[in-house]
Amino acid sequence: MNKYLAQAVAKLRNVVTSRETDADFEREIRTHLAFIEEEFLRRGMAPAEARRAAQLECGNLELTRQSHRDERAFLWLAQAGQDIRHALRSMRRSRGFTVAAILTLALGVGANTAVFSVIDAVLLKPLNYPDPDRIVQFFLSSSSGPAKGASIPDLRFLQGYANSVREISAFDFGQSEMGLTSGAPEQVHGIHVTSNYFHLFGAPLVLGRAFNEDEDSAHGPNVVVLSYRLWKRRFGGDDQIIGKEISLDKEWYTVIGVTGESFHAEPEVQLWIPFHFNLNSVDQLHSFGVAARLKPGITLVQANAQLNAASEAARRDFNLPDPDFQFQVQKFSDAMVSYVRPSLLLLQGAVILVLLISCANLANLLLMRMTVRKREFAIRGAIGAGRGRILRQLIVESLLLCSFGCVVGVKFGLTGARALLIASPNALPYIGKPDLAFGLDWRVLVFAAGLSLLTSVIFGLLPALDVCREGFENVLREAGARQGTGARSKRAQSAVVVSEVALSLVLLIGATLLIRTFISLSRVEPGFDSHHVVLMTMPLHSGPTDTAASVTSMVRNVRQEFAAVPGVESSAATFSAPYASRMGLPFTSVSSNSTVSGDGEWMTVSPGYFGVLKIPILRGRDFNSSDTASAAAVVLINEAMAKRFWAGRDPVGQQILIGKDLGPKFRDTPRQIIGIVGDTRDDDLSQVAEPTMIIPDAQEPDQMVELEAQFGPMWWLIRTRLEPQQLISTVSEPLRRASGGRPMGSVRTMDDVLSGSIAKQRFNMLLLSVFALIGLLLAALGIYSVMAYSVTQRIHEIGVRMALGATQNDIRNMVLREGLARGLTGIVCGMCAAFFLVRLLADMLYGVSMRDPAVFFAVPAFMVLLTAVAAWIPALRAARLDPIHALRFE
Amino acid sequence: MSSKEKRPAQLLQGTLDLIVLRNLETMGPQHAYQIASRLQQVSDRLLELNQGTLYPALVRLEQYGWLKGTWGKTESNRDARFYAITLAGRKALVKETTHWRRMSELVERLLLEGTQA
Repeated sequence: MNKYLAQAVAKLRNVVTSRETDADFEREIRTHLAFIEEEFLRRGMAPAEARRAAQLECGNLELTRQSHRDERAFLWLAQAGQDIRHALRSMRRSRGFTVAAILTLALGVGANTAVFSVIDAVLLKPLNYPDPDRIVQFFLSSSSGPAKGASIPDLRFLQGYANSVREISAFDFGQSEMGLTSGAPEQVHGIHVTSNYFHLFGAPLVLGRAFNEDEDSAHGPNVVVLSYRLWKRRFGGDDQIIGKEISLDKEWYTVIGVTGESFHAEPEVQLWIPFHFNLNSVDQLHSFGVAARLKPGITLVQANAQLNAASEAARRDFNLPDPDFQFQVQKFSDAMVSYVRPSLLLLQGAVILVLLISCANLANLLLMRMTVRKREFAIRGAIGAGRGRILRQLIVESLLLCSFGCVVGVKFGLTGARALLIASPNALPYIGKPDLAFGLDWRVLVFAAGLSLLTSVIFGLLPALDVCREGFENVLREAGARQGTGARSKRAQSAVVVSEVALSLVLLIGATLLIRTFISLSRVEPGFDSHHVVLMTMPLHSGPTDTAASVTSMVRNVRQEFAAVPGVESSAATFSAPYASRMGLPFTSVSSNSTVSGDGEWMTVSPGYFGVLKIPILRGRDFNSSDTASAAAVVLINEAMAKRFWAGRDPVGQQILIGKDLGPKFRDTPRQIIGIVGDTRDDDLSQVAEPTMIIPDAQEPDQMVELEAQFGPMWWLIRTRLEPQQLISTVSEPLRRASGGRPMGSVRTMDDVLSGSIAKQRFNMLLLSVFALIGLLLAALGIYSVMAYSVTQRIHEIGVRMALGATQNDIRNMVLREGLARGLTGIVCGMCAAFFLVRLLADMLYGVSMRDPAVFFAVPAFMVLLTAVAAWIPALRAARLDPIHALRFE
Repeated sequence: MSSKEKRPAQLLQGTLDLIVLRNLETMGPQHAYQIASRLQQVSDRLLELNQGTLYPALVRLEQYGWLKGTWGKTESNRDARFYAITLAGRKALVKETTHWRRMSELVERLLLEGTQA
């Protein structure tokens, strides 16, 4: 064995057996002394003289013992053990302090760990694709803002002009529902992709292969790739499945591959089918996303510069009308989480404030404890403990507090993170999937441990450094009855309380603004009546066999069936239900006497739609049974459209042509405006209604039916006489019967849909409120404990004041004044900070200005009240002191 | 640390180990007092060892596994801790001796070179 290793082992062993070896050595040194003594006796010294001489000869025995001990074991380790034992003892002695400190720390660390776990899983973790940072998503930054949707001509342009990327792939956004109809009908999430999608995302295949280019061409065969989980669940992991046919929306597809278990698309996809794009198409339908991989050595910036140049060339070459037509790329991972990022960053900001407040509280606790313990340290210093030793003792105590706080905090944090996930409005990307369980990973652990370490060591050491600077002697002198009233520790405590109050005021103002936002949003009139309405989806996903006529007759049949169900008042069908996406299409007026043109949303509805949702017809007439496919083409517009394009004039009777120049898929005949309906806020409650053109379903062009059926389900709306939930079970059977066996998709009440549309705001508001509440609690505790402590420290002084004639009221007001002074300073600081920080919230507010005077008045007023209450209790106690007792108090 | 300066002959780092090992090899097991007096005797009292130096060296050597200390009786029937060299100690002694010889030879040669120049 290496000698140093042997030595280290021996030293470690001796740390433990220190006491026995000490005794051993004592024996040895005694023998040594005896030998010398004997020697001197032999030389003829008198016994007493010999003993003295021997001791002289030996020198300082204590030094020898010390150097023996030093050599024998790792001294620092032995002392650390001592320090830990001592620290544990002193923590046990002041149990109240320990519990308060650990809980405070755990609260701050826990809140941060919870939010960071989620942020880590959603924003920071790399995507599960090869070299994910090189995958980019295209978006079009046109005059109407950035848009991720691309059209076939866009794809053609990118394939020809985007030279800085390769493996350009298109894929459907989100997940469309398809009916898997071989066997028991079931809705599955499938998307269309181009052939190099699998290569771009590095999808492994356990069986078969991905699409080739021929299969993805305009007239390619119907082929499908299944996800591992669908294959396992639905097909029992059949390894002979390649080449078999499955039926999707009544069409047959050949299974050619199964992806590997590790491959996940986001959101979840269960099967992939080829787009079969006709690349010569001129359709301006922006319906799919495009991603690609940066070529080696190309940066995002370079790729964007190249795209800028290419877009310019394309505008020139094709003489494009839109001067802003410009493609850009963004990291795929960023594009994916862009919609949750603001919420999560808001949360992170809030929990950092909570952490700061709990740090302040911890500092407060440690400061108070230190003033109590100053005497202890001064005495230890006076009997020979070095400053280093005392500092080390304090560090050990802080580290112990830190580790306990950290363990409890992580525990809180994981519980909190789970709660966060449950409370989060729309499933956050990447997490919450059964096999993508997120949990404690090293990043979260390091984060939590680092936080608690930083907090407890900094705030544990500050008071200790203070003691050292003051000098033990001074502390001892001061540490009499008036210990802890030193100006410095008082100033430090005031600073801590002031910052606590300031920070929690900032949180509270933020929370109040979000609460007001949420209240304004819930009070918004959506323009329709959501009560007693059930919303159901039914995937249509038709091939070319479905025409407007067949859909219309199916809708008529189902509506008749529904009408016979007891409790159903009325029903309607549409492709564009509230809060589902809609197509935007251009229109131009074709009446001879006006030249109106612009963009509006396209919406088709069955008869009865406006009745079900109680949307008023403001002018003209509703659709009626005479608006058939063969009758004159008609359209209703909403009030927003009338106001924007026909301000001061009457649009009713005008003719408009929708989708002009957009290619054959959008060909429509001129329609006459027959009326104006009320506006509905059915996309986003915080947004005013967009101009909308509403077409009767019987008059919808066949190619539009096909298009709409491809991109979304059909929605059924049923107005009920009963509570909507009661009806859900009774309508599914008539629906299946009358629709020719189509499966029913999701069912929700309109009220749920409406409140779901502001779920994100509710989530932000709730969490910020919880954090503000925690902050408030901590701040109130801080004020209370500092004032209570200060009263205890000043009992003697209060006694003197009383003896000199101060009344109970005087004493009470004195304490109260002091507490309020600190609170008010904090409030003023907090208001200043909040005044600037609210800017970060500006994008999330609705119906309240970010510097709303009411909020900026009411919240500080509430804080003043809280401060007063927190200071009131100690003030009252001070006032009720018995002056005799107070004077004698030591 | 001033006590070190007063010492008649200062020991180079590591040489005490060598001397102690060599002493135990030739003399057999000895207790600390014996080691100290023997060294004083051999060095003609030029080497003044105090307990503050000897004992840590003994601890160190024992921890290296080169010595083994056991309690026994002296001729005068007194309890004393006897240190004996171990097998590892003998091996180390050979190695350290060679090392020392090479070192001192080198130093000697360098010093000679100095006088010639």
